[in-house]
Amino acid sequence: MSKARSRAAARLAVTDLQHKYGDRPVIEGLTFTLSAGQAIALVGPNGAGKTTVLKCIVGSAEPAAGKILLDGLPIDERAETVRRDVATLLDDLDFFPDLTAAEHLDLLARAHGNAEPEDLVDTLLDDIGLLPAADQLPGSLSSGQRRRLALATALVRPRKLMVLDEPEARLDVGGVQWLSDRLIEEKKSGTSILFASHDPALVEAVADSVVTLTPLP
Amino acid sequence: MSAAEGPVVFDPDDFGAIPTSRALRQWMRTTRRRHADRSFWQVFEDAYLVIFTLAILGATGGNVVHHLNTNAASCTSFTCGELSVWTPWIVVPLLLATTLRVLLSVGPVSASQATGFWLLATPVNRAALLRPTYRLVMGVVAVVGFVASAIIWALLGSRFVDVLEVSALIGVLLVCVGTVTVWAQQTAGRSRWALRVADLLLVAAVIPAVALALQRRSVQGADTFSNVVVASTSVGSQSYPTIGRFADHPVTSGPALLVSAEQTRLLVILVVAVVLCVALVVVTSRTLDKLTRTTVIAGGELLAGLAGAASSLDISMLADVVSGRHWRLKGRVRSRRGRGSRGSALVQREFLRILRWPRRLVIGFALLVVPYAVSGAGFDVLVPIAAGFAGFVAVRPLMDGLRSVCRSTGLVRALGMDLRELRVIMAVVPAGFAALWSLLASPAIGNGPATFAVAAGMLAGAVRQASARPPSYSGPLVASPMGAIPPGLFSQPMRGFDLLLLCLAPVLLGISSTWVLAVPTFVLAIMFAVRPKTA
Repeated sequence: MSKARSRAAARLAVTDLQHKYGDRPVIEGLTFTLSAGQAIALVGPNGAGKTTVLKCIVGSAEPAAGKILLDGLPIDERAETVRRDVATLLDDLDFFPDLTAAEHLDLLARAHGNAEPEDLVDTLLDDIGLLPAADQLPGSLSSGQRRRLALATALVRPRKLMVLDEPEARLDVGGVQWLSDRLIEEKKSGTSILFASHDPALVEAVADSVVTLTPLP
Repeated sequence: MSAAEGPVVFDPDDFGAIPTSRALRQWMRTTRRRHADRSFWQVFEDAYLVIFTLAILGATGGNVVHHLNTNAASCTSFTCGELSVWTPWIVVPLLLATTLRVLLSVGPVSASQATGFWLLATPVNRAALLRPTYRLVMGVVAVVGFVASAIIWALLGSRFVDVLEVSALIGVLLVCVGTVTVWAQQTAGRSRWALRVADLLLVAAVIPAVALALQRRSVQGADTFSNVVVASTSVGSQSYPTIGRFADHPVTSGPALLVSAEQTRLLVILVVAVVLCVALVVVTSRTLDKLTRTTVIAGGELLAGLAGAASSLDISMLADVVSGRHWRLKGRVRSRRGRGSRGSALVQREFLRILRWPRRLVIGFALLVVPYAVSGAGFDVLVPIAAGFAGFVAVRPLMDGLRSVCRSTGLVRALGMDLRELRVIMAVVPAGFAALWSLLASPAIGNGPATFAVAAGMLAGAVRQASARPPSYSGPLVASPMGAIPPGLFSQPMRGFDLLLLCLAPVLLGISSTWVLAVPTFVLAIMFAVRPKTA
């Protein structure tokens, strides 16, 4: 397959990405492509810039240089297609303090155009182990339950690309196994996944390619 | 014991008698002094600055109050008479209810998480550990109660002796309420009862306010005399003589004044008040060991959150702390399914969310009494501004949803909408409330355009405040005597009120109805068109 055709087929194409915090470069010359149904894991020690790459892709951080294309178009978080197609799980997700876990999922599904999300929400709550906590408000959920709810928010909506920052964080062993199975299913259904992780087992099970980042001097 | 000798083994002989609270506090003071990073001179400078600022503010404020007292005392109009009759009946229950609610929110006895973890878990006498905090809280209650009631009664034109007497009595009353809250803090059931009493007191404050509003309406209905004419001929059988003022009773007139019966009575009241306060505080401070660690730390956490929000001068964040605590304590509610999809689903969810905390709606509608009371008191020119501020206070708590999305970019992404779009959608239900509220207040406000300006002002102001970003310390900072601060920190408290005033400006300036309608329309259009910045 030629390089040009490969780019055209890529769901996400990152070319020569650079980012700096002040004068300090964090990412330099990062290039990779992610196709439909493929998963790429970003690995590396703390401070290597994994989260920064994800933030640049979802538009939370401005790259110093480089191109990020989604389905061949420059990614812009204000564009409706990006908001519709990219499901994210970063550390900037907060919840409505007065909505229950079930109500969050119900609202998110409806906001994305699903007018009858009851079955989807119930199934997802059950699947993710939050059914007993369905009526709990976020403030009373444990940190692990909050993480599961955050994961569910990425799964209750339509998506072509999932951008996940350490999705395994704060999950118990069973939770990580469930996550691994679920992400593999997502790939089979054609969703592309870009995730940062410190869990070698999860990376091994889910990722088709691994991008290793190292802290810049 | 060295590592080679094996693991550390518990030996009761290593431990002596449990230290007293005083000894523990003394040890902490000594340790902290050892870690102090500021010299005595620096501390002295800071203290001097605070005292000097308070003295300047006190002198300026005191002078203003003194002048207003003189003016109010010489006022013989119907308005002044009505205010002096009705205000005490509104103020006293309001002060009591506020004291009850505020004290129960913070404890009243509270401790930081560190104190709770490291000190309250030890066998050291808990009552003795908590006593200094408790005394401080009661002292603050007494002083705030005294000062607040002194200002209010002075503004009503009361004589100096009367102001002192009333303030002392109200101060004692509030300390009594404070001791009751310590008793209430000991069990959840008692707290609930105390909160119900606070609600009843709020209702008790609303009743005279309604009466004041109706009084004016009935007088206006009976005849159309101007305020001055009504006052000079007295209303019915009631007349309002000059009340008296500070200047008529100078405090520094020499010892001769102290022998008057009135002065003696004041002295007795003050002494009894102080003795009663001290006795109550001493008696209740013996029961502090009945407080659980959870209730004490909960108040400490709230105070820490409020202090953090106050340091950034962010009113919205203060409201977030209070509302966050409310929902954390609630923990679980029955989930309700939504309806529709996309924008309509969000609007419907906002409606359900507002109904979930009905107290806010009740308080919001109760605030309708403000424009009517101001109108009833005869200050017609102030009705739109009073209505605007009361409406702002009523509608702002209904914007928690907007506040949540403006604070979390992740939530905006999860909802899959643009923040500008979300701001419009999430303002729909509060806008409906603002419209209804203004319509209900329109008889007091007077005319249609002014009512529209009030509705638009309260909505625009509340939306602007709810979508405020917290001040960022990660960007450029400006040097100030308080250290480095983000630019715009000092404009933070004005956020929201600025748009409210802008919308009401044509009404206050008395310019044509076209401008009264055009300015708020323009403000709303611009505000909803601009994309808010995210945190």
